[in-house]
Amino acid sequence: MSNTTTSIAQAGTRTVRFRIKRADGHKKNVRWEEYDVPVTSGSEGSGSANVISCLQHIAANPVTRHGERTTPITYDVGCLEEVCGSCTMLINGHVRQACSCLIDTCAPRDGDVITLEPMTKFPVIRDLWVDRARLFETLKRTSAWVPIDGTYHLGAGPMETPDEQQVRYKLSECMSCGCCLEACPQYLIEEDVENWDSAFVGAAVISQARYFNMHETGASTKKLRLDALSEAGGVSDCGNAQNCVKACPKEIPLTESIAAMGRAVTVHKIKQFFSGQ
Amino acid sequence: MTTTPTFMDRHHFLLRRLHSLTGIVPIGMFLIAHLTTNSTIVWGAINTRAADPLRAADGVVQVGQAGERLARQVGTFQHEVAYINDMPFLVLIEITLWLSIAFHAVFGVMYARSGRSNTRRYAYQGNWRYTAQRWTGYIGLLFIIYHIGTLRWGWTFLQPNNEPWSHAHASSTLAAALRGHEGAWSIGGVFVAILYFTGVTSLIYHFANGVWTAAITWGLTVSEKAQKRWGYVCAGLGFALMGAGWSALAGFLALDYDAARSIEAALHGTPQESIMVQQDATETPHTPTMHITQANTPLTTEGGDN
Amino acid sequence: MAIPSSEQRVIVVGGGLAGLAGSIRVAEAGFAVDLFSLVPVKRSHSVCAQGGINACNEVARQQGYSEFEHFDETLYGGDFLQHQPPVFEMTHWAPKIIDLLDRMGVPFNRTDEAQRALRLFGGSLYKRTHFSGATTGQQLMYALDEQVRRYETQGRITKYEFWEFLRPVIDSDGKCIGIVAQDLRTMQVRSFRADAVVIATGGPGLVFGKSTNSVMCTGAAASRCYQHGVKYGNPEFIQVHPTAIPGADKLRLMSESARGEGGRVWVPAMKKNGEWTPHPTPGMAPRTVPVDERWYILEEKYPAYGNIVPRDIATREIFGVCRDGFGVGGGNMVYLDLTHKPKEELERKLGGILEIYRKFVGEDPTEVPMKIFPGVHYSMGGLWTQYTPAAEYERYESGEASIDNTRVWDPHKRPACGLDAHADNNMMTNIDGLFAFGEVNYQYHGGTRLGANALLSCIFDGLFCGQSVVQYVTRRAKNLVADRPQAVYDESVEGEHKKIAELMSRSGAENPYVIAKELGDVMTRESTVVKDEEGLNRALVCVSELNDRYAQMSLADTSGWSNQNLTWARAVGDMLILADPILRGGLARKESRGSHYRPDYPDRNDKDFLKTTIATFDPVTKQSMISYEEVETGLVKPRVRDYSKAKAKGAPTASNAPKKQSAPLGETVGTGSGGAS
Repeated sequence: MSNTTTSIAQAGTRTVRFRIKRADGHKKNVRWEEYDVPVTSGSEGSGSANVISCLQHIAANPVTRHGERTTPITYDVGCLEEVCGSCTMLINGHVRQACSCLIDTCAPRDGDVITLEPMTKFPVIRDLWVDRARLFETLKRTSAWVPIDGTYHLGAGPMETPDEQQVRYKLSECMSCGCCLEACPQYLIEEDVENWDSAFVGAAVISQARYFNMHETGASTKKLRLDALSEAGGVSDCGNAQNCVKACPKEIPLTESIAAMGRAVTVHKIKQFFSGQ
Repeated sequence: MTTTPTFMDRHHFLLRRLHSLTGIVPIGMFLIAHLTTNSTIVWGAINTRAADPLRAADGVVQVGQAGERLARQVGTFQHEVAYINDMPFLVLIEITLWLSIAFHAVFGVMYARSGRSNTRRYAYQGNWRYTAQRWTGYIGLLFIIYHIGTLRWGWTFLQPNNEPWSHAHASSTLAAALRGHEGAWSIGGVFVAILYFTGVTSLIYHFANGVWTAAITWGLTVSEKAQKRWGYVCAGLGFALMGAGWSALAGFLALDYDAARSIEAALHGTPQESIMVQQDATETPHTPTMHITQANTPLTTEGGDN
Repeated sequence: MAIPSSEQRVIVVGGGLAGLAGSIRVAEAGFAVDLFSLVPVKRSHSVCAQGGINACNEVARQQGYSEFEHFDETLYGGDFLQHQPPVFEMTHWAPKIIDLLDRMGVPFNRTDEAQRALRLFGGSLYKRTHFSGATTGQQLMYALDEQVRRYETQGRITKYEFWEFLRPVIDSDGKCIGIVAQDLRTMQVRSFRADAVVIATGGPGLVFGKSTNSVMCTGAAASRCYQHGVKYGNPEFIQVHPTAIPGADKLRLMSESARGEGGRVWVPAMKKNGEWTPHPTPGMAPRTVPVDERWYILEEKYPAYGNIVPRDIATREIFGVCRDGFGVGGGNMVYLDLTHKPKEELERKLGGILEIYRKFVGEDPTEVPMKIFPGVHYSMGGLWTQYTPAAEYERYESGEASIDNTRVWDPHKRPACGLDAHADNNMMTNIDGLFAFGEVNYQYHGGTRLGANALLSCIFDGLFCGQSVVQYVTRRAKNLVADRPQAVYDESVEGEHKKIAELMSRSGAENPYVIAKELGDVMTRESTVVKDEEGLNRALVCVSELNDRYAQMSLADTSGWSNQNLTWARAVGDMLILADPILRGGLARKESRGSHYRPDYPDRNDKDFLKTTIATFDPVTKQSMISYEEVETGLVKPRVRDYSKAKAKGAPTASNAPKKQSAPLGETVGTGSGGAS
């Protein structure tokens, strides 16, 4: 069989060590705990173990490897198939979803260590659970919706070629997980809600602005989005490190979105300069 | 929410774009011209006409111990320096440049400080470029201050050799400034040379990468493919400028001071001694007018002959 | 403390498709909406829906399809256990819903001419499923999420994310006047006042341990309503999806669209004397298995529908061949094969699920057939709800009128025999002012839900029945919010505080995670694909033991901040309570219908069981009392369900349309004698 994930992993049951950064709140009682978790390789067990199934194991047996009883790890989790974006955290230092992190791939040998930390760009609620409210709030700044008249029946929406649809579909797959923001050197933690309006919006939101500007009806409020993106914290705060596109689990062309919005804002501003409005 | 937006916030977009623009025009354009000029200390060797004023009747160039090659190199560079110094409204050009650099630097530092490099976690190439862009900016700024300060504003106390750069002796005084001594290297000179190498390299990187990111910022290159293609162009530009910068540096560091000195003297049609005397005089090195007049004499004559 | 407000308010619990659609509708009507969700609404379980959303469309219509046909298919697929008026209304509304989603900017796949593309789906021979790659649920969710965000900026919807619904607040008149909820971060418990409450909290997949559901789909919210007197309908009808990838933490769905786009289900086998026998080397590389050693199980048994038979049938067949030793490698797996399809087309139409398979299995399904096995997916049952049939329904129901074929084909001339749009009780539970939308509502799907009807029913509930919420608030709850006494709210909050304190104080040796796992194991074993009396009784004993052990449980975490240990333990208690009606309903239903398969009663029994199971919670015994309610079948007379043949009777199809057009549908439609309620 050509099963790549299982072929690397050691056969039989092995032990994987988890180093987990825990906290009782943002910067409150931050500490590291270690757990040993038995793992069976995917080809033998009832399916591949992943970071979540290991966290579930720890929840059912909350004892550290030194034998101390502790509390189950608190973490955000949802669909477990990488479409909801909940379980985003730092695994061995890199931001990603925990559900799609298969143990057979990231810790194939007995005694391998997996490090889990909460995202650093959002305030920690507890342990690995962070509050990403700012990301959703920022979507409001850029009017990230199609301004329809209401839900009454008014016929079909605008037509769209398959090519356009394919571009928009890709952008629409953004699940607001925050990987692009976590990896971005220009996006910094901002605990003060008052500053959310002027801090950098980040790649996800810029890409969403592009998504709505591409829609025929969405384009009617293009100006609002471009104005927002030209303000402080807008698209020009991007430093072009391009980590976002590398970190995006959905492979959304975020850097293209940033450039496209850069172009749109440039044109918009030049027009505004000469037209006076 | 109701706080009045700061000047920075109100003109956020304009300032950002001006920052991007000044990096290319005039700073980047000047950088290209400057490096091209300076690299003539090496490439000037192919400029046969540069040594013509020094040619004896038999066509042989013989100035002190120097051969024709050095005469061409020093001659070309001297000619370029003179040309620049002869430009109309030079002061305006200079002020524009300095203001641009100051603007680019002040805002650049501010913008750079708005990010937190994270190459340790995300060691992607692009991320290294981003981080390097900031560091080369800082290094470049310090270098520019040193460079202009010592060679243009005469902060000779920062020069190991304490000798101001002279327009009339563009090549020799520069070589001395870089090496920290007229002849052999001084300890301080080693540091100056390293500073120059680092500074020049940083600025070229900063410029080439800046041109690449500017294309994204302004929205010229949108698709990943276009960004990649433009990346190759910018890399090409960068390497070409590195070639110019490094060869200039190498050329000056290896320059035979005495030979260059005599070539320069010969170019001015002045015996070496008189130059020396002039230098002993107490006039400030800030007033280049005298030098310009003197330095240009033989060259304009040569120009007049053609 | 509840914050008194002079404004009329509606609470929506649940931020999935149904909850968001309902919120939008109510907010649009001008009422303030408080939207509660366990997770940021954009992360709700609806994002996991993959295949698409059904609606009659122009292409299908010209091939002989119609809203009526969609209605009929849905009934047929559901083995006629549905009340027909709501299904009639929903299917006729479907095209409007697609149009609306289209206007909201959902990136539906397109044809070359820029029209909305369509795909085939289970239970239909017409392409009538609209889709957005293989992440349709996600795309629809985001479109609604965006509209909700828009209302949020206008101050008309207030979100309470990371808040858990603990119970409805019901006053002495039996009216729901608010809820008690808990902030999962600060653990603050408080009440919220409202004129009406919509429960849109999805299904109870986690009762079965590993399922295709998200981790928040515990069914706890439904269970809490049930424990406070809301009837629960058809609890035994649990859909097991035929194609899921087994995993250590969950079963990941492989959409039915894989089969709709041409995917074929097969197992390696040898034909001996015309009979298939297990393959001697069942683990051999799939692409090296010769064609004549591949048993295409569904295509062979169901020539008309092939791989797109409804889910319960495909599931039983796959389950069956594995039980008989045909499974891949001798285990519990069959192949779902897409490798014969062009790669580019697969990426464009199914990219999302191919990606899931690649990420979680490590193989490329465009190169190697996928290995899949059934997994618990959806609950047709849920909170029992009422409705008001439209004006003309009674005439059809009594046989006075019958559906006129030509009229049915023209949606503008359809008879008013669906729902009354102006009623104030559509999808309201037996508690006044407490509505149930989406999967938590037991309507529409009967014995089995057809693929791509779930997204439809969720949004239909929100948009159409959201109007009922508006009517209810306008007519029956005017200006009540501010005047209500505080006592009833305080009492409810106190009740929840006590419950929490009691859970925290337990000091036995049991662990809630272990109890949940064992519950899941027994429920999956005894109450999914194949059920029988013995097994269901075994499971009841087991659940009762688990209940005892639950009382002996202690929490590893007793802190007062973001305590997930507490919230999980509390949900496990609610899951244990909900397991009871699921088992008892199954035990009492002595027939086989849709996904409810009892080999001890293998046939459908319309005489005794063409009825809704209604489970009522007995607070004393903590068990369910099962009763039955007649099903409204006034529009289409139930007929035998047989997917080996294309539809022979019933509404017109492309093949028999001309004949049908000349003859009224009276022979099968409109003469039913379904009981009215």
